[in-house]
Amino acid sequence: MEAPVYYSKAEFIETDTGNKVSRRATIAGPQNIILGGKTIISSSAIIRGDLRRTGPGHAVVISLGRYCLVGEGCVMRPPYKTYRGNFNYYPMKIGDYVHIGANTVVEAATIGNHVVIGKNCVIGKFTIIKDCAQVADNTVIPPNTVIPALALFAGSPGYNPEGILVGRFVEDLPESTQEMVESQTKQYYSRFQPLDR
Amino acid sequence: MAPTIHYYCPCQSGELLQTPPPPHMASSSASFHLLHSLFFCEECDAVRCNRCVAVEVSGYYCPNCLFEVPSASVRAEKNRCARNCFSCPICRSTLQVVASDPPDGGDGRPSASLSNVGEPPFFLYCNHCRWDSAEVGITFEKPTGLAAQLQKFEDSAPESLEFERLKEHFEPFLPAASAALARDVPGVGKYNPLARSRVGRDRTANKDEMPEYKSRMEISVLGQLGSEGDDSDVDALRRMENVEEIASLEQRWGNSWTTSLRTSDLKPLRIPLHSKVSKRCPTCRHILIKPEQKAQSVRYKIKLVAANYLPAITVGIPHASGTDTARRPQTKATGVSDDRNAGILTAGKSYPFHLALTNPLYDPIQVRLSVQRMHVTAVTDGTAPEKARRTPFAVSLPTSPFPVAAFAEAWEYDDDDDMFGLEDDDLGLDVGRSRDRDGKGKIKAVGVLEKRANVTVVGGEVVIGKEARGHVKFNMLVSYTYRSDDPLPSEDGAGTPSRTVVKSPEVKTFTFYTVVDLGPILPREEKIDPDI
Repeated sequence: MEAPVYYSKAEFIETDTGNKVSRRATIAGPQNIILGGKTIISSSAIIRGDLRRTGPGHAVVISLGRYCLVGEGCVMRPPYKTYRGNFNYYPMKIGDYVHIGANTVVEAATIGNHVVIGKNCVIGKFTIIKDCAQVADNTVIPPNTVIPALALFAGSPGYNPEGILVGRFVEDLPESTQEMVESQTKQYYSRFQPLDR
Repeated sequence: MAPTIHYYCPCQSGELLQTPPPPHMASSSASFHLLHSLFFCEECDAVRCNRCVAVEVSGYYCPNCLFEVPSASVRAEKNRCARNCFSCPICRSTLQVVASDPPDGGDGRPSASLSNVGEPPFFLYCNHCRWDSAEVGITFEKPTGLAAQLQKFEDSAPESLEFERLKEHFEPFLPAASAALARDVPGVGKYNPLARSRVGRDRTANKDEMPEYKSRMEISVLGQLGSEGDDSDVDALRRMENVEEIASLEQRWGNSWTTSLRTSDLKPLRIPLHSKVSKRCPTCRHILIKPEQKAQSVRYKIKLVAANYLPAITVGIPHASGTDTARRPQTKATGVSDDRNAGILTAGKSYPFHLALTNPLYDPIQVRLSVQRMHVTAVTDGTAPEKARRTPFAVSLPTSPFPVAAFAEAWEYDDDDDMFGLEDDDLGLDVGRSRDRDGKGKIKAVGVLEKRANVTVVGGEVVIGKEARGHVKFNMLVSYTYRSDDPLPSEDGAGTPSRTVVKSPEVKTFTFYTVVDLGPILPREEKIDPDI
């Protein structure tokens, strides 16, 4: 069993459903954000729930499932485009058991269940990430990419020893990825413990 | 670096379950795998890895549009997506079909397009590097069926036509040739469905009766088509101003046929298909992995993974993770563990370590651990002094078997709520106390430390020699006994030496090897770190 990850009790707000949200995170437009429960929003993360579709009424901008982790310094920003002359933001949907590493910028349209995204990544606009896919640390995923289920993507224009110019398919992940990620994300949540001092 | 444990798959060496290679050799890593990447064959009662399983394609799909391509059309479409999926020839990201700008409305602003799809001509545009297909003169009148239009280009390449002709020429001889191959090379017939169907009615077609092949065009003519190394290339190189004008190898070698050297001539690529695979045991041919038909489903009809059969083991060194948490809440709160001196073992000291074994079976198991002997002469797996002299470190593990409780679904559900209390107690009190005792008089560093749910934590100890170098890395033999559901007394013995009947036929023993890496050894004289 791995050691617990302690956080200061004063910094985090815990909701009835077990979400733990840092007071140091910037949550814009909280009424447009849904957290599924037992999801952790780390400090200095930025979640832009205010960038909503134009038009009247209530709109869900960003929804996260259960047992998710938004790492420190992450930016979650809904994707936008100009379609037939109209500029608009589009909602971002994230499934259960999704971990997003520190300092990653996410502008994906859909992220499935059991997805692990590394540190310092850029997930381009309207990216679709299917179930059990993974993105390695320091990867740049260009806009409109589709990451199929159980695929590992890596690569960035800045660091490309093998000439990989953008994040793309590297290998298939093992068949037991789903169970692995599920137990890892659950374990992380239970390890994430308050410390009064 | 955190301590790691890898599991041994015996496929690299000929016989069944023999001793794994020495852990320190670099080549040994090919035989050791992470538990979750291994399979388990119930028939052979053996661990299988990705290197030894037989792989069969069970379906093709496009990784971009996720369309499941029927295998009949895969061949005709040359293993690439025949819909609207293209990758950028410059950076390999996905291209988008975009319409031309709508005609100017007169007021300086583009008027909203009238048609649903936009204005022709359409072209392909890269959102990442801003390449567009109009640069190389590829535009489309309709935004649909683009792949078919591009495939026409590909198929009309002289190399492609030549290849088609070659295939046509050799087609009639193929069955005879493969039958001959199956006859001459043992084992080939088993894997070649074509040969298997024909081998019965032996046509005994003589391989030499082949008519001479006439190529479509002379090779010298082909050279003049400007494929490689001709005068125009030399000319271009002379005028070249920056290196980007030449397409890199990476950009060119995905093409089927030779293409121009110039970056400006690169064409968009149809995206290669991916496949879902099923996996079979290499010896008994039983299916270990069979995915669901749907391309993006992550479920499996058959999934025999080792994680469901072998106990999962995690290794931890308590001195690395447990000490400073209370004193440094700040670093812990930010999630960055203070691993400056974590995982570093100093030569000449001894360290306790923990092995947490998790039982995936629905029956309780008895586990016995032992360290593989480094030398034939080294007698025990204990901390015998003569062994310490021979090897740079000595590992002691609990010698008696210990139980690990059965896995029960119920723990899955209530771990969410109950684990906090449990964990706090464990880590705050138990580990802390045992550490104190370690400091004073080494009480109970080796042995069973903790039992909870289907996890048993045992302690071991490693004594590192004064002159030790490298990594503390040792092979560990794990054997566990479990109650079998189906007693198969006749089946063990031949072919399955790993499984032996102990006492009653109900109880079986399975044995496997692992390699434990506790981390690098810090030589004694180089004590730079002030914290140590």
